[in-house]
Amino acid sequence: MQSNWVLKEDEAIELLALLITSARIQMDEPAHYGPLRLLTAAERLSSLIEARSSQKAREFLEGNIERIPAMHMRMSDVDAYTEGLDALCRAVAACLLRHSSLEGEA
Amino acid sequence: MNEALRNIKTRRVVREMSDQAVEREQIEAILEAARWAPSGGNLRPNRYVVIEDAETRRLLRLVAPGMFQRAPVLILICTNWQVVAQHHLPAHDRALLIDIGTAAQTMLLAAHALGLASGPVTSYSKEAVRIILNLPAHYSPEMFICIGHKAETARPGMRAWQPITWRDLTHWERFPERE
Repeated sequence: MQSNWVLKEDEAIELLALLITSARIQMDEPAHYGPLRLLTAAERLSSLIEARSSQKAREFLEGNIERIPAMHMRMSDVDAYTEGLDALCRAVAACLLRHSSLEGEA
Repeated sequence: MNEALRNIKTRRVVREMSDQAVEREQIEAILEAARWAPSGGNLRPNRYVVIEDAETRRLLRLVAPGMFQRAPVLILICTNWQVVAQHHLPAHDRALLIDIGTAAQTMLLAAHALGLASGPVTSYSKEAVRIILNLPAHYSPEMFICIGHKAETARPGMRAWQPITWRDLTHWERFPERE
């Protein structure tokens, strides 16, 4: 696996701020806001690393993370939202395989 | 349709804004509208903090996971607890929350009437906001109103959880006797 630095310190702290403040406000908000906050963090991380990431990673980010904002707007449709999250999970798993030594094994 | 009613019906929460600046006169008009919002006992415990500085806005966004907008102007509605104490209101008095709501809606409508986009944000760390803005101890940060111009590429807002009309929300007169 490549060991490129894709995140600067300022950017990492920005992401930390989002995660920590999300944890706090989640104490006061409905449970279904949890996925929204985590996906917002995923979007933020994606936007921060995209410019310096590998081609393989960029393909995943462009093809999948970009769908997240549209998903937020459909939170009221729980089934569609859940299916959107499942689709993202499948894409993440495929991305993990491409980044692993298992790629190509059957 | 009556102009005020049309303004109420066409206002939307905008979560994607452009970089276009908001004129100072427009900000002041929104703040003046808030001054005329109803207030319990006419006590006016709300105070408003306007943030235009780009770096301060950036830092506030970092501690406000619910702030999707990159708005050129933020107005923070605060409760001034010195006013609350002065009038011997209990801290849990609902009038305080109602005052925040009436001020917020008044500002959202004023912004819309001026052709601006707006959106309220309550999902942020109050403690972090307090530190970033160096708020006086007797101010509590209750709600941000984001003001700006709608981005051309803005997506439609969040859909309603179910179709709803005013009739669904309303009951006329007494409820029937329960058996």
